[in-house]
Amino acid sequence: MAGSDPLVSAGTVRVGPMVFVRLKLRLIAGNLRGSTQRLLGFVFTTIAALLFGTFGFLSMVTLRLAPADVALESVTVLLTVFLVGWAVVPLLAFGLDDTLDPSRLALFPLRTGQLVTGMFAASVTGVWPLASLAVTAGAVAALATGIGGMLLGAVVVLLHFALCVMLSRLVTTSLSGILRTRRGRDVLAVSAVLFILVAQLPNLLLNGGLSADPRAMLHALASALSWTPSGVAARSIADGGLMAVAGAALLALLIAGAGWLWIAALRRALVTPDASTQGASVRNSRGLLAGVLPDGPLAAVVSKEFKYARRDPRGRVGWFAAIAVTGVMAFSMYGDGGAVGGTFAIAPACIGALMISVQWCNVFGIDGRSLWMNAVAYGTDRDWRTDLAGRHLAVATIALPLLLLLAAVAALLAGDILWGVPATLTAWGVLGVGLGVGALTSVLVPYTVPERLNAFTGAAPGQGGIAFVSSFGVLIGTGLLALPIVLPVLLGLTWVSVLAVPYGLLVSWGGRRVAGKIAFGRYPALLEASSMAT
Amino acid sequence: MEVTEAVRTRGLSKTFGRQVAVGGVDLVVPRGGFAGLVGPNGAGKTTTLSMVTGLLRPDGGSVHIGGADVWRDQVAVKARIGVLPEGLRLFERLSGRELLSYNGQLRGIPKAEVERRAGELLNVMDLTGSADKLVVDYSTGMRKKIGLAAALLHNPDVLFLDEPFEGVDPVSANTLVEVLRRYTASGSTVVFSSHVMDLVERLCDWVSVMDRGRIVAQGPLDEVRAGRSLNEAFLGLVGARGDGGPAGGEGLSWLGATPS
Repeated sequence: MAGSDPLVSAGTVRVGPMVFVRLKLRLIAGNLRGSTQRLLGFVFTTIAALLFGTFGFLSMVTLRLAPADVALESVTVLLTVFLVGWAVVPLLAFGLDDTLDPSRLALFPLRTGQLVTGMFAASVTGVWPLASLAVTAGAVAALATGIGGMLLGAVVVLLHFALCVMLSRLVTTSLSGILRTRRGRDVLAVSAVLFILVAQLPNLLLNGGLSADPRAMLHALASALSWTPSGVAARSIADGGLMAVAGAALLALLIAGAGWLWIAALRRALVTPDASTQGASVRNSRGLLAGVLPDGPLAAVVSKEFKYARRDPRGRVGWFAAIAVTGVMAFSMYGDGGAVGGTFAIAPACIGALMISVQWCNVFGIDGRSLWMNAVAYGTDRDWRTDLAGRHLAVATIALPLLLLLAAVAALLAGDILWGVPATLTAWGVLGVGLGVGALTSVLVPYTVPERLNAFTGAAPGQGGIAFVSSFGVLIGTGLLALPIVLPVLLGLTWVSVLAVPYGLLVSWGGRRVAGKIAFGRYPALLEASSMAT
Repeated sequence: MEVTEAVRTRGLSKTFGRQVAVGGVDLVVPRGGFAGLVGPNGAGKTTTLSMVTGLLRPDGGSVHIGGADVWRDQVAVKARIGVLPEGLRLFERLSGRELLSYNGQLRGIPKAEVERRAGELLNVMDLTGSADKLVVDYSTGMRKKIGLAAALLHNPDVLFLDEPFEGVDPVSANTLVEVLRRYTASGSTVVFSSHVMDLVERLCDWVSVMDRGRIVAQGPLDEVRAGRSLNEAFLGLVGARGDGGPAGGEGLSWLGATPS
């Protein structure tokens, strides 16, 4: 019987945490093999982490020069940022990483305790964890007094770091069941964008001059955070006496609690099945526009595009990003307060149209690996042109009202709602130009949009440069081609805006016509470029 | 002129970098019935099928389907063929029913007719219960079935299937076979690639054997297998590596042993 092999012990094996550390290092190394681009990326992140660690540590040290209460408050806020960052960032950046997905380890004869220490050790391995430990250690230099204080401070720092790691594991493990389902990953993909925007918020507030006194803000923030684990840790380091001992004990208790929860989550995650095929039904809606359009390929493509804009996280992220970027840019234009006049009504609307166009510089990307279904049905360049027209029609149906709204709001803020009329017309024209240029980039420099989005890449490995060329092609091409209609309007010849829409229609029609011919000629290359392995 | 061949390629070739994937293939498939394309992994089956169905441009050679050139007369050819490529690449965010109606509408079939055919196909494929679930949530068997339904919707003359039975459970495989049998009964042609020799032997009247980018044998099933089982004939043709008796007489002595 194979199970009773004398060389394989019947019970559990002695597997120390070092095995997991080596496994993680080997996975990192294996991931780099054979790809110069990934190797460069790794070198770059390593340098970034080293710089982050060094400068973080040094700036913590310089906090010592600040008044004691400011130093304490700053450290409180920084430690809290670290704690939250550890909980959230790995989730958004990687989804689940191979080393640490417990389901991959479920088949090995390991006790939960071994898994816990092993995965803890694996989490600590890496340049970013070490860099963040270095910065946290700076808190001792910033706050601690006396040798005893230093030593206690070091203990507290280590405990805080351990709490960060433990919390991060707890969050990933307890969500791993959800993250392995399709729906969970969809939600995560969209929330990655939200997170990036929220991270931009303080920046915007500072730029907008809305902040009162930074000292007062820091004080309010720190006092709100003073009873969080990070706040306790900061005060313990500063105190160095009995308070520090109590703080350390509290942190240790929290670690034990988080560890216990983690073990429970891990036990459950190991035996929870993959629930990805138990999806719910979707509404079989036809959509208003698809009902109006004559039956045929155009209506099919339009209604498919609407469904993808709604159901595919990439579709939602695309629209969300276009709107958010426009909002941020428009908002920062009003930052100075002196934004009155036609320019400030027209420019945001046109920028909005440009941003929406850039999102569609690769219209076939969202179909990706399924694009062959269209290719086996299309026998002429006219079919490809109809396909492009369907995609443009779907984009325009969502974008035109949005641009109208944007132009109206911008005109109101600029002082005269009437400015909204030329602003809307010009923006619609720019959108037409952008879609026409986008049709060309879509067939000339197509690239694969990965199905699993993360916050950092928009193309398959090795195609980042193509994606860059594509979006900048649309940005520059649209900018140049739109000049004849935008420039006169901005210079005060508002009547030119009447010509914007016909001009935009003409350019988009021309773009589709040329792109349709090109697509028909080189659709096998198009299929290959947009369905690469990601 | 009456064309008796469903598919004919002449000197079809494709090179990826330095590697010759397909090196001068003359594939012939007679009209009507099942034709099997067999060969070990990396023999060039998928590349050949992609070029034949107009999804990959050949470096050289020609492909004719029902007498029409695949790359010159695309309208005629594309209306005449149905395709299920490898890898189950489907529109993930459409439901099964939506996927079928999308395909039908792309080909210009009237909406009412598309809905009628889709309903019947879903019913035959035993997918009615999951018709409104997204394809991304389908299992492998369900994906093969919905892919086949999409390929059949416009009632093509010739159907090309790349590994249609790979990873499919026996119940779904049986459904697939039944549907395909009904389809060929009226004189249509199915060309499929497969590793499952029993199935090829059971279904096909015509077999083409590929190895290292070339056709090494082609003809009616009985001619190719010449009195042996197709599996034996196949192993003989592709020159099965490691033919020396029971696998690994030297190593693996511990495997399956019962010490103590």
